[in-house]
Amino acid sequence: MSDGPKSEMPFDPKIVAFCCRHCAYAAADLAGAMRLHYPHSVRIVDVPCSGRVDPLEMLRAFERGVDGLLVAG
Amino acid sequence: MIVGERKPLSEIMELLGGAQKVLVAGCGTCVTVCFAGGEKEVGILASELRMKSKLDDHAMDVEEATVQRQCEWEYIDPLRERLDGFDVVLSLACGIGVQAMNERFPGVITLPGINTTSLSLPVEQGVWEERCQACGDCLLGTTFGICPIARCSKQLLNGPCGGSQEGICEVDSDTPCAWQLIWDRAIEFDQVRRLLDIQAPKNWSQSRDGGLRKIVREDLQLESE
Repeated sequence: MSDGPKSEMPFDPKIVAFCCRHCAYAAADLAGAMRLHYPHSVRIVDVPCSGRVDPLEMLRAFERGVDGLLVAG
Repeated sequence: MIVGERKPLSEIMELLGGAQKVLVAGCGTCVTVCFAGGEKEVGILASELRMKSKLDDHAMDVEEATVQRQCEWEYIDPLRERLDGFDVVLSLACGIGVQAMNERFPGVITLPGINTTSLSLPVEQGVWEERCQACGDCLLGTTFGICPIARCSKQLLNGPCGGSQEGICEVDSDTPCAWQLIWDRAIEFDQVRRLLDIQAPKNWSQSRDGGLRKIVREDLQLESE
């Protein structure tokens, strides 16, 4: 996991976003097409439905060191 | 089905003590169906343990295994070769599974990760209600299919008691009076007369009061055993 905020280093949280293919992922796609920027530390995972996202997958992401999760759908 | 609930993480961590290599073992039968100790719950607990031990600066190697049924030798025997090097097995099976593991693999301690709570019916999604106490002397044939041992708070054989109010038990306002349910069924089937005989005290020697219960079926035993 990240060390958290430090005075000399800005906190750059790693965020995993589980995005529903039919809405949130399409929105992220559109944002890309419109050249809108979002932080590079946000990693988008395309899921068939946000209801598909399981607590186990969220825990696995935390285990692997992400600082936050977004489930969008 | 046998129903259980997972123990809190703090209690599990305390049980594990300083264990460095832990196998979290699930069971694919009852505790899978009640979402307490199947493959998914094993994964979640293993993940929690890995993170907790990391946060506590205590190195803990956690692996996962789920067998179809932890209460039968045939199903747990394949775990034997996986147990090498593990300090502890943390079982998410019912109490039978935990004991089966300890008896079959005495060289490694198997600890319980869930509390086995009851023999229950999933009356709706996410709700399990006790229906049987395995008393060894089934009364359902005389109580119209409703068990007063499991469902009457006072385990009365001749009910209802004076605490039954409008079909609700005085002990808990969420609990229907089992004897009211029994009487309603008797009325529905026009067999009230069957409830008018006073029931003698129950033979509890076939329940836990008679000590450890054991069934031996010689017709099923193999000669070599």
